[in-house]
Amino acid sequence: MNYIATIGEREIKVTVEEVGVARYVVTGDGKGHLVDAHQVQDSVWSILYGTNSFEVDVQRRGDDYEVLIDGDCYKFTLMNEQLKALSRAGGKAAAGKALVTSPMPGKVVKLLVAEGEEVKSDQGVIVVEAMKMENELKSAVAGKVKEIFVKEGEVVESGAKLLLVE
Amino acid sequence: MFRKILIANRGEIAVRVGRACREMGIRTVAVYSEVDRHALHVRCADEAYLIGPPPATESYLVIDKIIDVAKQSGAEAIHPGYGFLAENPLFAERCEKENIKLIGPSAHSMRTMGSKTLARKTVQAAGVPIVPGTVEPIATEEEVLRISNKIGFPVMLKATAGGGGKGLRLVKTEGDLHSSLRMAKSEAKSAFSDDSVYIEKYIENPRHVEIQILGDQHGNYVHLCERECSIQRRHQKVVEESPSVIITPGIRAAMGKVAIEAARAARYEGAGTCEFLVDKDRNFFFLEMNTRLQVEHPVTEMVTGVDIVKEQIRIAAGERLSLRQEEVKQTGHAIECRVYAEDPDNNFLPCPGLITSLRTPGGPGVRDDSGVFEGFEIPIYYDPIISKLVVWGKDREEAVARMKRALNEYVVTGVKTTIPFHIRVMNNRHFLEGNFDTNFIDKVFFPEERERELPHFEVAVIAAAVQLYLGERKRAIAQRPVGTGEPVSMWKYSGRPGMPKIL
Repeated sequence: MNYIATIGEREIKVTVEEVGVARYVVTGDGKGHLVDAHQVQDSVWSILYGTNSFEVDVQRRGDDYEVLIDGDCYKFTLMNEQLKALSRAGGKAAAGKALVTSPMPGKVVKLLVAEGEEVKSDQGVIVVEAMKMENELKSAVAGKVKEIFVKEGEVVESGAKLLLVE
Repeated sequence: MFRKILIANRGEIAVRVGRACREMGIRTVAVYSEVDRHALHVRCADEAYLIGPPPATESYLVIDKIIDVAKQSGAEAIHPGYGFLAENPLFAERCEKENIKLIGPSAHSMRTMGSKTLARKTVQAAGVPIVPGTVEPIATEEEVLRISNKIGFPVMLKATAGGGGKGLRLVKTEGDLHSSLRMAKSEAKSAFSDDSVYIEKYIENPRHVEIQILGDQHGNYVHLCERECSIQRRHQKVVEESPSVIITPGIRAAMGKVAIEAARAARYEGAGTCEFLVDKDRNFFFLEMNTRLQVEHPVTEMVTGVDIVKEQIRIAAGERLSLRQEEVKQTGHAIECRVYAEDPDNNFLPCPGLITSLRTPGGPGVRDDSGVFEGFEIPIYYDPIISKLVVWGKDREEAVARMKRALNEYVVTGVKTTIPFHIRVMNNRHFLEGNFDTNFIDKVFFPEERERELPHFEVAVIAAAVQLYLGERKRAIAQRPVGTGEPVSMWKYSGRPGMPKIL
């Protein structure tokens, strides 16, 4: 199967081929490597890369990956090659619309905007408190506040829809 | 000695205090809020009482409820841990009135040290060097200007009732004074309902070094040497160690002596900590005294062999200190890393949630003071601390290597933690050289980190690609129309636990 990894500006084609139980040949940048990969503990993988042993924590949110190895955090996106081609074609329709979601479970302390209000890109729209700390969340796009899904004082889960800017 | 102690706290510190009680043969009483029924401190206790809804202001901070539980359970003493009611003189007074022994100093000592200006005045009179500035709150702007010019800019404006970085303003030049004073006062007013401020000279690039002291009810005091706590972010300590690389035996003895004088001046009883700022010429100045058990107390326990919590309990029971100053020996080197449920790669955003899996480090010289377990859900209501990882080594080099090794063994999934951040700190050249001050994390560490090249991008992408591939394959199999998949023998399922038997 073919994938596209995007690291900053750079795109790399990655191919995964299953060659045995938990064994794969992974080709990236034209070079193939034999990899022995076992999911050992929830999101943690034990990877034997050649004979080098790595413990790797793979965190995924949609196509965005944050991978921890030896305390370093590797951030990139990874997509199926075909899906990526599809999303490129349909990508334009989604632009200009942005859902603000809660990155953590917490309590809505304050709404900084009202429905119908114009907001700028990067403007703070809502304050969510978790563990005694207040965090101001921003709108990713400029536009009008279309809908607010929560009330002040409400307890929200991680990933909860807070408001929609269009 | 007490037969039963109420622990008025939660999380790792409640567990830590409970451990000392158990080892001393004392029964423990836990209190818990509605979200903490499953918490480790409840599971480890001999008795447990529900004290109310999740917000601390309706449970762990309600004096009446804690006192009620003490009476109901017949606890003779209360250990407040740190935070919550630990430095609240009203709580100390109430305990005195109810004839329950609070394991800690008196309300008088708390008040003396709780007011920054009264503390400065008291310790200065006892001969302790303080940061140059005023020992009284200042009334007018003219006076602020006069004093600032006398001690020289830059100066710090600080709230008399201060704490947690609130009501704190750095004033670099005379021109900034007016607006800074106004902001410091309004911040102090809203945070502490007291807008009085005082002035201190601003010490540039200081190191934060503190002295642990113990005092009994008979006027005996010892100090247990220093802890270096300069590795801070947002004015909060994250890595602590003992000994400090900049403290010589001479300075240690001098700091220890004045810390004891400060404690004596406040008629201090129990365990306490004098915090000092140390400038680049190694002059030290009293900053404040913390009238409680410190988060970082295990560092001192590792190098001195003294169990500080047990000492606190013995002191509260009226016993004399179990050791004299000349018996205090600082052996080897200890480091502590505070593991928080925060995302270090996303501006330390708090990450409460379910701990889906956990592997704690072990091996020689490793101590993990934890308040969690696999399957525990970290509530959103309290401090996000998961545990304190502490190591001991024969010298600093071995301690740092051991800490790095232990951090690499530590695996927590389900929530993000500061473990990766600590690994990076342990690898930082300036940290290894012992060359840092309280601005290190923001001014040196993060800029350097942004420039650093990451060595294992290939492995990271490979692991993610294999995971994605397996996820897609699993979905493809699940979506396969019925009948086209490989036949699965029903014999395979029958007899497995949890599977209905096929008759």
